[in-house]
Amino acid sequence: MINFPQLVVNSFVTGGLYLLAGTGLTLTYGLSRFPNFAYAEFVTLGAFTGYLFLRHPGQPVVPALLAAFVAAGLLSVAAHALVFRPLQARNAGLIHLMIASIGLGYVIRHAIGAIWGWSALSYQTLWQTYEVLTARLSALWLWLIVTAFLAGVALHLLLTRSRIGKAIRATAANPELARVTGIDTDRVTLLTWFLGAALAGTAGVFRAADTRLYPMLGWEILLPIFAATVLGGIGNFYGLIAAALILGLAENFGVVLLSTIGLSTEYRMAIAFLVLILVLVLRPKGLAR
Amino acid sequence: MDPVIYVLDTFVFVGIFALLSLSLNLEYGLTGLGNFGKVAFFMAGAYTWTLLSRAGVPFLGCLAGAALMAGVLGGLVTFPALRLREDYLAIVTLSFGEIMRLIVKAEKGLAGGVWGITVPSAFAGLAATPRLVAGANLLAVCATVALVFAFLQLLAHSPYGRVLRGIREDDVAAAAVGKNVVLYKAQVLVLGSAIAGVAGGLFAQYVRFIDPYMFLPTVTFFVWIMLIVGGPGNNWGALLGALVVELMNRGTRIAKDYLQLAVDPNNMQFIMFGLLIILILFYRPEGLLREGPVKTAARGKVSRWLSSS
Repeated sequence: MINFPQLVVNSFVTGGLYLLAGTGLTLTYGLSRFPNFAYAEFVTLGAFTGYLFLRHPGQPVVPALLAAFVAAGLLSVAAHALVFRPLQARNAGLIHLMIASIGLGYVIRHAIGAIWGWSALSYQTLWQTYEVLTARLSALWLWLIVTAFLAGVALHLLLTRSRIGKAIRATAANPELARVTGIDTDRVTLLTWFLGAALAGTAGVFRAADTRLYPMLGWEILLPIFAATVLGGIGNFYGLIAAALILGLAENFGVVLLSTIGLSTEYRMAIAFLVLILVLVLRPKGLAR
Repeated sequence: MDPVIYVLDTFVFVGIFALLSLSLNLEYGLTGLGNFGKVAFFMAGAYTWTLLSRAGVPFLGCLAGAALMAGVLGGLVTFPALRLREDYLAIVTLSFGEIMRLIVKAEKGLAGGVWGITVPSAFAGLAATPRLVAGANLLAVCATVALVFAFLQLLAHSPYGRVLRGIREDDVAAAAVGKNVVLYKAQVLVLGSAIAGVAGGLFAQYVRFIDPYMFLPTVTFFVWIMLIVGGPGNNWGALLGALVVELMNRGTRIAKDYLQLAVDPNNMQFIMFGLLIILILFYRPEGLLREGPVKTAARGKVSRWLSSS
């Protein structure tokens, strides 16, 4: 018997996670014009930073989220200032930037592995569960959905109502023109790298709380995040919101479909890939255009 | 371990990685295509070889099967991304590598799933003397590398190779002079993937046991390091890079046993290679060997004509 309310809840959870984790990727991708594969590691660092605050049962979740937000954001700013900006200043091509991001990813992932080890850890927090219709809903999932929703609204307001948001959009649309109109594009870029990765860091906390915690955590959700980014249109935040939700639905309903036709549910990750390929064939510019 | 076998083993791996870096050089070095899923085609070759040789197909049949399977997959998977910007190809190939691994892991009936599968030796007659087996493998790998290298060298300096370089430098200009850019790119990816498939087949045959954990994205990353270190656009560079990086890899593995590090040596090794590639991209992005001029048939004539006047 298929439990529809539960599937819808699960889809929102998955979608919320992809939204939080993908926002920074799509914004920095649109702004700096290369896909940063080290992004996975920002998610992982957030998760491990959260571990410092959620080691024992009964600890509140908000400090963990804030710490993950700051740690991942700062790491991202450092990565941009020390690796990517100098490379771009040397006119490194798109592929060189991608290779550098993969190399940086290995450095960060194995540094995390050196600090915290490679065996899986888990948060010690117990989450209250609620029953809504026939769906079970844990407090963790509520936190995740609410955080993703608030982050979405806050970013929307930031991008449309504030000067800095306008500056971000202007820089993404045309960096040269933005610079001649007096926008400090370097600062705008740094801020975007901070904000985006910071959200990814909080996504890491949620992912770790929902599953387990180890250095490959970020890498394992990197591909669906990329799929969501491409599906939404690179650099398009509103597209990402829709894409994250669509991928969440596709994955959770797809898993049910997989098990009814007798395939392994391990193929869950392949669903995002299938969506990615279909998008590239049918609508390469993403959903929005 | 027998030191002779260790040395032979090192060079078998150098050869297998040389095939991979040569194939990446064709794709990236010559044509400018960023294939971030090299391991997928390497893996396709390895598993095809394994299944064929378990079914009793002879050596060359397995080799052809591995090349064919990897080549066809390469064409099918990359085609949707070829009309788009180069970063899409990177994302698609990277994802495909992970999906391939997922399929092999999940389909336990296909090739043992996570438990792996043993591969029959093609040199079973020599099994009594391990040194001869290693030597025969090295010979097979070297012969393949030599053939592939000669072929790619001819290709790179042929008119076809010049079109590829043209596409790399400016694909709009190449299209404007009437070249079917997407078709060229597709051909290059089919050929490059087929070479990677051959490398995978030789690898499976040599190690005699494969499982999905041997085909992590790390393999792709190492091939990229090799090519960038050696010098993209230069087939000699691809060979040199494979040699240098594999020797470094072996060196750090030996050093592990003698060094007392505060950091786990396995983590240290990856941190080191990650930093290495970033530093190379900073300070010597053209690699150890620069891309030389294209050697055409008329080059000798022109230089003679220039010096005689």
